[in-house]
Amino acid sequence: MDLIGLFPTWYEPAIGSGWVIGLIATIHVLFSHTAVGAAILFAVLAWIGARDNRPELIDFIKKYGLFLLVFSYILGSITGPGIWYSTTVGSPRGISALIHNFVWKWATEWVFFVIEVIGVYMLVYLAGKLERRTYMKVAVIFGLTSYTTMLAIVGILSFMMMPGRPEQWFAEGGYLYGFYGPNTFAQLMIRTAFMFTMTAVVGGIVAAGLKDEVFKRWLLKRLAIVGGLSAIVGMSLYPWYLGTLPSIAHLVMENRLPDYFTPSILIVLGAMLAYFAMTFFRPKLVTATVAGFATLAILVLGLWPGETVRESVRKPYIAGQYLYSNQVIGHDVPGMGVKSEIPTLEKVGFTHAHVFWPDSQKEITRENTMEVGRNLAITACSNCHSLSDTGIRPLKNYFPKQADVEGIRTYLLGALATGNTMYMPQIPLQDDEAEALAVFIASLNDPEAAEAYLDGETTALLDTSSREEDQ
Amino acid sequence: MDTAMLYALRDPLGIPAHPLIFLILGVATWALHIAAVHVLLGSSVLAIRGALSKDDHWRRLADAMVNTAKVAVSVAIVIGVAPLLFVQVIYDPFWYTSNVLSAWWVIGFIFILIVATLALFIFYALNHGLRTHKTRCPGSMILAVLLFLVVGFIMHALSVQMLEPDQWKEWYAPNGVIDASGRSIHAFDPWRFGFFIALSIPVIGIWLFGYRRYLQGRHEAGTGYLDFLKRMGTRLGAVGTLVALVLLVGWMRGLPEDIAGFATGIWPIAAAAALIVAAAFPVLLGRRLDRGLWGYTPILVATVAMIVIATMREAVRWVTLSGVHGYNPLDYKITMDWYSTGLFFLTFGVLGGAVVTYLLTVAWQAGQTEGTYTPSRAVNRIGTAGIVLLLLWIAQYFGFGLWTAYA
Repeated sequence: MDLIGLFPTWYEPAIGSGWVIGLIATIHVLFSHTAVGAAILFAVLAWIGARDNRPELIDFIKKYGLFLLVFSYILGSITGPGIWYSTTVGSPRGISALIHNFVWKWATEWVFFVIEVIGVYMLVYLAGKLERRTYMKVAVIFGLTSYTTMLAIVGILSFMMMPGRPEQWFAEGGYLYGFYGPNTFAQLMIRTAFMFTMTAVVGGIVAAGLKDEVFKRWLLKRLAIVGGLSAIVGMSLYPWYLGTLPSIAHLVMENRLPDYFTPSILIVLGAMLAYFAMTFFRPKLVTATVAGFATLAILVLGLWPGETVRESVRKPYIAGQYLYSNQVIGHDVPGMGVKSEIPTLEKVGFTHAHVFWPDSQKEITRENTMEVGRNLAITACSNCHSLSDTGIRPLKNYFPKQADVEGIRTYLLGALATGNTMYMPQIPLQDDEAEALAVFIASLNDPEAAEAYLDGETTALLDTSSREEDQ
Repeated sequence: MDTAMLYALRDPLGIPAHPLIFLILGVATWALHIAAVHVLLGSSVLAIRGALSKDDHWRRLADAMVNTAKVAVSVAIVIGVAPLLFVQVIYDPFWYTSNVLSAWWVIGFIFILIVATLALFIFYALNHGLRTHKTRCPGSMILAVLLFLVVGFIMHALSVQMLEPDQWKEWYAPNGVIDASGRSIHAFDPWRFGFFIALSIPVIGIWLFGYRRYLQGRHEAGTGYLDFLKRMGTRLGAVGTLVALVLLVGWMRGLPEDIAGFATGIWPIAAAAALIVAAAFPVLLGRRLDRGLWGYTPILVATVAMIVIATMREAVRWVTLSGVHGYNPLDYKITMDWYSTGLFFLTFGVLGGAVVTYLLTVAWQAGQTEGTYTPSRAVNRIGTAGIVLLLLWIAQYFGFGLWTAYA
């Protein structure tokens, strides 16, 4: 039987599943990066506090830790699995690829999560109870453990773009070649830098509330230095990161990113540096509200575009440069025993290969054409293209309003089915499938014309003899 | 949905170790997760009951239970990550399908859980010292419990939908028309859901014995309060076990015809027996309950009982998917990866073991100590070993990583 393991598709017409995933992921990045940066900051402060006998530093850890407990360890630990949940429903085979490659890495990271959660509670609730050196030891364990969670996840994020060593992974498979590559380390360094930037900004919310003015000034100045330097280091690492991306990612960046992207990122960086300069020179101006706005600005103007770009430049793949964003396996991976599903689709089409395809629509008729076209669009297109007027990259906007069914069908069979459209997956379609999809796409801009086409004499439908012969 | 279709949905990458390992880890971590959920639900309800009472014992209990619930929600969430991971490894065809078919509920789960947890923390923040202060905003804790039940129900429904592959195509395309909205909950079993929720009653009862022993170590609670806890724990254990057993019988009686024989097999009996033993154990201990560390043993026995119950839950899945639908999770393709497998078990057993032992020992001993706590030399050594192991872990990460990336 020629089956491919496509799951049902979740299609969300208003904003699209991609944006739901992106929204949750972006929020999680803020929580998690802040948590890791703060944990390392805690370790340093606890060390200074123990060495110099400065109880006010321990008090700060307690206050920031309590804030962090909710901000990062509650919300962060919900949105973390939340990314799993959202990708499970938005891209089940995408998350499956990551899980099946890196299940042990995630399990290892889970061990560190458990330690982290115990650690943060101890830092908050046993401050002043533990003698100084023990408290410092707990803080050091907490800091090191938090950083290992970043180490554990970054290779998986990198694999979403491409395997660490693509040639070796495709040929030999294995965890190491999938996880580690130049992109892994470039991404790790950038994330490490920006993690401190976020920590410095979020830390300002708590520091602003400190009563002891002398200590508050001391702390805010150091947060400003940490934040400013890490922002500069992070940006200066960007060319290294770009150099590790595959050529297709550069192509997408050159052609697909909006013109305002680079200037806006530079403006955000400039604004952050200005904020840190203000924190350093005029710490009195830093209030919880101001620091809160700065956090929001990082989230909306920094993290969201950054995550959007990371998402865009790996198209047409969703993971490992073998799995297309529409869930179809587009390339063989001999090292892992994975076969491309393109030949199966070329042979029998989605209607016969898709496990969940309704039996009543396996044969395309004039009556069910529109419905089959809609189902094909949901299956093969909706992961990246909204089928409505709103949401992510509306499909209708990619075809001229006056495009007729025949023209669309010709494009689908000539360019899309053969894999000759830049940053689009190869989507093999049988002749009748292409026609059904073309009718549906045409209906998005002009429903009446599509209906008229179906009512007319010129359809090329119902000719499924060639496929039957193949079978 | 025939067997070939189910197998087609498997990830062709395979898995990096024998599937039995993932099966066992899945059951064990789920047992710990659900135990934490039970403590969360039980402590939250006791906190509400106590916060609305004027009785001194009840208010003191409420004060302690708010703190318990606050920690339990973190523990439940963080431990819950593990079974969520392992179910995707060997049951991916079932888990992913079930989730996609109810996608909006899956997304809703995240946001409802966030609101529930924040509501709990709001109650905690507003009610420091319930013993002596007036209760503020009990509605937030009630809301938290209700929303926790909602997220529990969503997880329950996803687990039940997994077991009905015969229905999947009809759910996805009713009458042949695809419904990709993911807005429906398609299947649930109130008896099964009720059973797992009702277990919160005996579990929190048993938990109270551990709390009682902890207070005995601190020498700060009078016998009146300790007796109150003992009575409460015993009563909750007995009543809760009875309620849970009734619901278990209801669940077993309602099993589908093709696995109806499971109800009279060994697993439901083992689960019921384990539950009864766990609830009765503190009573069976008699006076030993107040000697040495015996006061903590009911929690250990309850943990074993939860593992037996989790195994029964897994057995239901097994007989359904393997027995009825022909899907055998143990014949998953293995793409063995020794490095990542070995690294996990070393991290889990050696590093995790050392660090968690150190942290929990320090936390527990500090709680039993008046004034500043200073650990013994032996405890300190475990902590130092933990830090060395963490540094070694980071060193091997960069060692293997840089060698792989650039060699």
